[in-house]
Amino acid sequence: MRAMLAIARNTLREALRDRVLYLFLGFAVLMLVSSKIFGLLTVGDEGKVIKDLGLAGVQFFSMLIAVMMSVLLISREVDGRTVYNILAKPVRRWQFLLGKYLGLLATVALNLTLMALVMVVMVRLYSGEWDMGLLFASAMILLEMAVVTAFATLFAVLTRPMLGTVFTLAVYIIGHVAEDIWLLTQHITAGVTRPIVAAIYYMLPNLERFNFKTEVVHELSIPPGEIAVTIVYGLAYTVLVLVLACVRFSHKDLT
Amino acid sequence: MTRSVAIAAVVIALLAVVVTCEVILHNAPEADPLGKRLLYLPSAEVLRLVSLGNDGLMADLLYMWSIQYYSQFDFREKFLYLDTVFNLITDLDPRYFDAYRIGAMIMSVQKHGDPNQHKEAIVRLYDKGIRAMPEKWEIAEWAAWDAYLVLQDTDQAVEWMGIAAERPGAPYVLQRLYGVWRDNIHGWTVEDSIAHWHEVLAGAETKTEINLATSHMYDSYVTLHRRSLDPMLRDYFERTRSCPESWQELVDAGWLASVPTDYLGNPYGIDTTTCTMVAHKKIRWD
Repeated sequence: MRAMLAIARNTLREALRDRVLYLFLGFAVLMLVSSKIFGLLTVGDEGKVIKDLGLAGVQFFSMLIAVMMSVLLISREVDGRTVYNILAKPVRRWQFLLGKYLGLLATVALNLTLMALVMVVMVRLYSGEWDMGLLFASAMILLEMAVVTAFATLFAVLTRPMLGTVFTLAVYIIGHVAEDIWLLTQHITAGVTRPIVAAIYYMLPNLERFNFKTEVVHELSIPPGEIAVTIVYGLAYTVLVLVLACVRFSHKDLT
Repeated sequence: MTRSVAIAAVVIALLAVVVTCEVILHNAPEADPLGKRLLYLPSAEVLRLVSLGNDGLMADLLYMWSIQYYSQFDFREKFLYLDTVFNLITDLDPRYFDAYRIGAMIMSVQKHGDPNQHKEAIVRLYDKGIRAMPEKWEIAEWAAWDAYLVLQDTDQAVEWMGIAAERPGAPYVLQRLYGVWRDNIHGWTVEDSIAHWHEVLAGAETKTEINLATSHMYDSYVTLHRRSLDPMLRDYFERTRSCPESWQELVDAGWLASVPTDYLGNPYGIDTTTCTMVAHKKIRWD
């Protein structure tokens, strides 16, 4: 556990050295400029626009970090051969991989927290309310990013960085249109195709499950049961993908 | 040095070419510059897919664009695809209150075309909003005022105000407005009115609310009582060729069992010049 945390800490430090936090600055500037512009363009509730934009920005920038950094950081260790130095110590391969994953997730979480705070302050400035629901929606985005980062880690040990990026992006997109796969099952009348498509739907990550933006922006109530199941779903999916990644990484030829 | 200057010159020249081309293309006349942009407007399903879970932001962008777009029109022109655009926005975010409000407002200002069609489009848009936000009274109230003031359709206004008044958290004044508006249109009987004001009175909490409801209830009962008492006075006048000075005369003559009283228990009066019933509403407002 200690070794894993040490790797996670180093990964976070490395990401910060790579100026990942610049993305946070980018987000802050985007929020400031666009809020001003949208304030001029819209008629009515500016707060809604700022919340929508803020949450979309938090999600987009977090996804960028999760996809780009995770694929790069693992391959960099392998390509730069630094992985040998670490694995020569009493560190198991799965510990190394999970340490990397946790470090990357911490990077995403740090950025996301800063972005969420900027968003809450911006909303306070424009609409005069402290909307803590935005922090809940951001936490759910973090859970989504935990799943996406787990996939990125899996693809990082399965394939080359460029392909890994493409595959992770594909998972991200498919995850957000998964509902349409379910709709497809409704149009298939009979035969084996329908259960196959339905099985695919259930197995694919449904990232829309973590999307509580509409509920938060419109201040709708969310059943606690739904939140609980969503958290279990996100954690279970993350662990599942990480287990697969660890299994693959433990047998991977690193030479 | 010379090479750097040459590269800089090439970059500037290319930039000039790019900007010039854009200026030419931008200023080239188009047959239907406004309509063309909307011709290939994607459906809500497509936009929802493309937005990857950010339907609300997509609706915001389309809403802001629509405000800029329709502000280019003169109110005598045909507002192209107005219905379609605001339907699309509200498909993407069915709880977008401003989109219903501003959409209906834009629809109401256009003078081109059939006013009935514009009105139908406004009603459709508001009905959609009222359905999409079943717990919100605000949208129904806004719709009711628009129907009352802009569309000048009292029946529609009453229907929407009734919906607003029934929704949870609706301010007391909406129930009162609903009652007043209904009292003013045909098809709303005095019995309906009395039943409504009984309901309102049951829910009234403050002294002012109670007094207002009582006042309306009083008026409704006056209307109800006038229905039987005025014809009775007319009959009495025709038989005796004189108007009674008081209701007691009618009681004594066996026309009434007792002196009729108003909702508050005070006896009615008689206007002997017109020979009609008179009510003296006395409500303490302090």
